[in-house]
Amino acid sequence: MMSLKFVFGPCALQALDLVDRHSVTCLSSPSGRKAFQVMGGSGCLYTCFVSCHYCPCPAFAYTVLCRNEGLLCKHILAIYLCQAMGVTQQASVSDQQMSLLLSETAAPWHRNVWCCVQQVDQCPQVHRNSMDPTPC
Amino acid sequence: MADILTLVFRTFMSQTGLQKDLSAAPPPPTARSALLVGEPNISRSVLLLAAVTAASEAGMRVIFFSQTQIQSLPASLPIFFFLLLKKIRFSYPRTVEELLQQVASLHEPTNTSPTPPSLIIVDRLESFLRAPGEQSCAAHLCALLCDTAAFLTHILGQQSSSAAPCRVLASFQSEVDPGQRGGEASATQPVLDVLDRYFLVRYTLDRDTGYEATAAGLQEIWHIYLSGSGVTEVSGAKDCEDTPAVAQDRSLDVLLELDPSIKGGTQSLKSKFLLSQKVF
Repeated sequence: MMSLKFVFGPCALQALDLVDRHSVTCLSSPSGRKAFQVMGGSGCLYTCFVSCHYCPCPAFAYTVLCRNEGLLCKHILAIYLCQAMGVTQQASVSDQQMSLLLSETAAPWHRNVWCCVQQVDQCPQVHRNSMDPTPC
Repeated sequence: MADILTLVFRTFMSQTGLQKDLSAAPPPPTARSALLVGEPNISRSVLLLAAVTAASEAGMRVIFFSQTQIQSLPASLPIFFFLLLKKIRFSYPRTVEELLQQVASLHEPTNTSPTPPSLIIVDRLESFLRAPGEQSCAAHLCALLCDTAAFLTHILGQQSSSAAPCRVLASFQSEVDPGQRGGEASATQPVLDVLDRYFLVRYTLDRDTGYEATAAGLQEIWHIYLSGSGVTEVSGAKDCEDTPAVAQDRSLDVLLELDPSIKGGTQSLKSKFLLSQKVF
């Protein structure tokens, strides 16, 4: 714990909190492509890549990219921790759904797998318009 | 990726006594992504030659992304090169969103059968990254390219144990004169900093505007600077495994003979490559 906090700073505890909430899901498609989806503290879903660091969250854009003050954000760290602890959730999506998730550039204000496939009636949470910046 | 570019330079190397051994010059082939920084015309020419060389010499399937259509090809290319164009798929996304969608869909079976692409080329990244928030967008695009290449490498490995990894090559025109090393940062520097996170090797193409180049007439000298964490010096010691690789910048001086009949579009990179290696 001390080592994590020493290396990653405040986001270590935030990442562990995400781990405790089982917030990390590994998505797989029939082609074999994989991606991670992390449910943030405010209910936002962030899609991250398997082989390199990127997260669409504001913290990654500001702290990592702009200020170069951090190695990664809490979402990416939570992915690593979940994998190490074997608590990553698993889910399957179609190849087209995977392509959509990997390419989406809109603000990830609550769009989960169900919303991407337009199966809104199966979405476990309230579905808002993707252009609405207000988080659920 | 650097091995493909080395092949491009070697293919057109001069037959004069100035020919140098390229084996010690290039970065290790483990650097699967490379970024070309320089003038659009020369960068596009290098990208096209890389695509054609990869398709002909290495038998690779290539996908070439560009915002602007390629109107003409260098006439000085040998005729058989044009027959290889069927191994190269050209795609012209108009926006960064379209480019993201097309790259993201490369994992789908329609794009991986019978053989997935082994070389992904993106021409003029800066033309796609003009909107506000371009740093995050640049990171998204670069990360997607790298992750896609990693996935396609896995697919290629499943098809053949000796298959080469999938590589990514992109060009970017910086607003700063690439010859002015250590100069003031430009508006594109923040984006370049992001690109350097994902592209391990950078080739900076800089035209020599000195008297010698001008006096040479049609011939121009281009300096090619290699930089990035993917450029390392391989130790020749027997215990090289214990010696950590050290990142070093390198410089190549390339003498180009331009074909004056080519107007606009691309310029010829044919013949007379003068190579001298400087290590910084």
